[in-house]
Amino acid sequence: MQVARGRARYIGRRLVQAVPTILVIVTINFLLVHLAPGNAADVLAGESGSATPQYMAYLRHQFGLDQPLYVQYLDYLKNVVTLELGYSFREGMAVRDLILQRLGPTLLLMGTTIVLSIGVGMLLGLVAAGRPNSLRDSAISIFALVAYATPLFWVGLMFILLFSIELGWLPTSGMTNIAAFYTGWRKVADVARHLVLPALTLSLFYMALYVRLMRSSMLEQSGMDYVVTARSKGLTERAITWRHVLRNACLPVVTMAGVQVGNLLGGSVVVETVFGWPGIGLLAFRALFARDLNLLLGIFFVAACLVIAVNIIVDVIYSVLDPRIRLR
Amino acid sequence: MSSVSRRDFLQALAASSGAVLLPGEVFAQGSPKPGGTLVMAVQPEPPTLASYLSTSGPIGQVSAKVYDGLFEYDFNLKPVASLATSWSESADGKTITFKLRDDVKFHDGKPLTSADVQFTIMEVLRKFHPRGINTFRALQSVDTPDPHTVVFKLDTPAPYMMMALSGYESPIVPKHLFAGTDIQNSKYANNPVGSGPFKFVEWQRGQYMRFDRNPDYWRKGEPYLERIVARFIGDAQTRSAAMQTGEINYGAFGAIPYFDVARLTKVKGIASTTKGYEMQSPIVMLDFNTRVKPFDDVRVRQAISYAIDRKFVIDNVWFGFGKPATGPISSNFAPSGIYTPDVKNYNVPNGADVANKMLDEAGYKRKADGTRFEIVHDITPYGDEWQRYGEYVKQALAKIGIKATLRYEDVPTWLRRIYTDYDFQFTSNWLQNLADPVIGIDRQYSSWSIKKGTVFVNDSGWSTPETDRLMKEAAIETDPKKRGALYHQFQKLTVEAAPIVWVMELNFVTVYDSKFKDLTVSPLGTYSAFNKASLA
Repeated sequence: MQVARGRARYIGRRLVQAVPTILVIVTINFLLVHLAPGNAADVLAGESGSATPQYMAYLRHQFGLDQPLYVQYLDYLKNVVTLELGYSFREGMAVRDLILQRLGPTLLLMGTTIVLSIGVGMLLGLVAAGRPNSLRDSAISIFALVAYATPLFWVGLMFILLFSIELGWLPTSGMTNIAAFYTGWRKVADVARHLVLPALTLSLFYMALYVRLMRSSMLEQSGMDYVVTARSKGLTERAITWRHVLRNACLPVVTMAGVQVGNLLGGSVVVETVFGWPGIGLLAFRALFARDLNLLLGIFFVAACLVIAVNIIVDVIYSVLDPRIRLR
Repeated sequence: MSSVSRRDFLQALAASSGAVLLPGEVFAQGSPKPGGTLVMAVQPEPPTLASYLSTSGPIGQVSAKVYDGLFEYDFNLKPVASLATSWSESADGKTITFKLRDDVKFHDGKPLTSADVQFTIMEVLRKFHPRGINTFRALQSVDTPDPHTVVFKLDTPAPYMMMALSGYESPIVPKHLFAGTDIQNSKYANNPVGSGPFKFVEWQRGQYMRFDRNPDYWRKGEPYLERIVARFIGDAQTRSAAMQTGEINYGAFGAIPYFDVARLTKVKGIASTTKGYEMQSPIVMLDFNTRVKPFDDVRVRQAISYAIDRKFVIDNVWFGFGKPATGPISSNFAPSGIYTPDVKNYNVPNGADVANKMLDEAGYKRKADGTRFEIVHDITPYGDEWQRYGEYVKQALAKIGIKATLRYEDVPTWLRRIYTDYDFQFTSNWLQNLADPVIGIDRQYSSWSIKKGTVFVNDSGWSTPETDRLMKEAAIETDPKKRGALYHQFQKLTVEAAPIVWVMELNFVTVYDSKFKDLTVSPLGTYSAFNKASLA
């Protein structure tokens, strides 16, 4: 009871602390994106392959680019505070709606990847650490090394070549079968089929990290005093591994997972591009090259919130795994 | 293509008698099978669907299925009937009367009348369309004597305007949904209501757009396809793979990369065509900044023009999809008598020798290290081919003692450098000639197109009073012979001055699933309505 109340208070305080953090991030982001040369009007007119001075002036005015920078900043700040996030003139849509549309697919891909990479990664790490320097250990380590070192886009393309073109088992890209427009459970199955390759590609890379981390962490913990104590208590090796070592060995993995979530948003750009997955990474990439600053800043803002939220969650998980850690 | 066809059109245009347009029938070999879904790859994803506000390439590929225009065009670049069934012109070329169909309905069921045409042209296209501002510059007013008659009143004759009335270039939008609203931010921008063969259904950002058959389309029985889906896949290799597995059926404008075309078309059931781009006519170029040394010197510009091996670029960079360009105007304009090959020829076998000799004579002697001078060469940031093109140019320049450093930036940075800051010496570039030189050519070569901050206009900074005059006169000349002669003289003078190296006329390629037919039935290609397309 006391612990739960402590936790709630802790979360509340962290949320309050997050506000100034986000404001600083938002300001730095704003300044950073305005350092990039060229603007949205240039790009939009450039894509048309034709433009008149009147048209350029009209675009600049519409995008608010003819306003002084501090006015643009105050406008933007207002948009953030009200959570409106502004309007993407390029996409002709409110930034918030654009991001919300993409958040689902992104979270689906991220969630699947996190579960898959941590689950399989920890399992393989555990197996490898069970008998260090055995054939099994070497095989797992080499697999992890190769998976880590291979470029994501190449793995993705090879998967497409093998599973889509050669074997014809899975679709090459997208999130749904475009020509079919399924509904209900058939839609769920359809999305799942489309999710396999991108999730597998992305997981392979992150899994490699967890394998190595888990293995070394397990080995380190198994030499600790508490393990000797447990053994002298007469516990079986299985009980020692599962009840004592594993719990402690998980801590660095959880830390890493927290850090990775931020990376995952970026790393998924490549996978989203290759598989045409309609996620936020792709939207950010597009926004950058179009100098769609409202949209780009909106995505940064959501990403910052996401990372802060995950950090809080990780801290809470910590305290569950290791009661010595107190949240205050 | 018959060589008199477009001349006939222009003569007809000059005549005051009424002209009846033939319906746009292409071939009628039995009745096509109804049904089927065509999945087209559109790259990149369009930013909006407002083709009346933006000419950004991918927008037209989808919007042309929804919106109709007054005309369509045949492969001789002659107008054929669409919303307008006939038209006539006054003797002075300043009054043009169009007769409209009386059975056309917008997708919301309201009839399309002369009021919609008037509103679209005067209030939308002439004010906000990036090219419309120019296309309709001579237009004073549009009158509507009755619901099915439209009268254009012009300041001067405008032969080029008649080439810009397709559903892609000048889409007719419903007045009742736009009038009195903020046209630049209309809620119908991304929820388009047109009169075309397909109705907009939904747009899942980052995934697809869906268009379903319009059962009340005014061409009875058409369209044959049940549905068109535009898909967006960012990665070129994945698009090729999806084409191979049949997940997509159609890709135009480089959606399928050139290096994959040969391989894919060997796959059973996949075909390709370079037709359907006759109103685009892109020319791959190298632009000099004639404001800076040494490119203010015509001898240097000519020498570099000689040094570029056109055939090498075509065969090795663009996989054979092109032919050598002779000057600013594409040979696609040959049928109308506008194009002439009779200009100074830089495409000679011993080009590098000629160039070396010219540079020696011009006083740009080689230094001890073998170089004459150093430059930075900017590369058009539009993909792999352009990078290889830049690498070739570097080598070609090295042969004549010019050391080039390559610079590759992203699109906004490049546009800013070339069209706003003029902070460049020599850049690769391309220019689409479009439907008429007034629309496609003037912007690159006229003095009035040297406009800081406006993209894809005169970046080289070159112009002369003489070429300005020729372009101005040609713009309002309705006699095709005289108009052709003016453009011939323009080409001669411009090629002599070499503000640009015209390297090749690029052929775009469309790759498609051969279980479909009649996908490419006009010079607008993928920018047309697809009302004739069907399962084979």
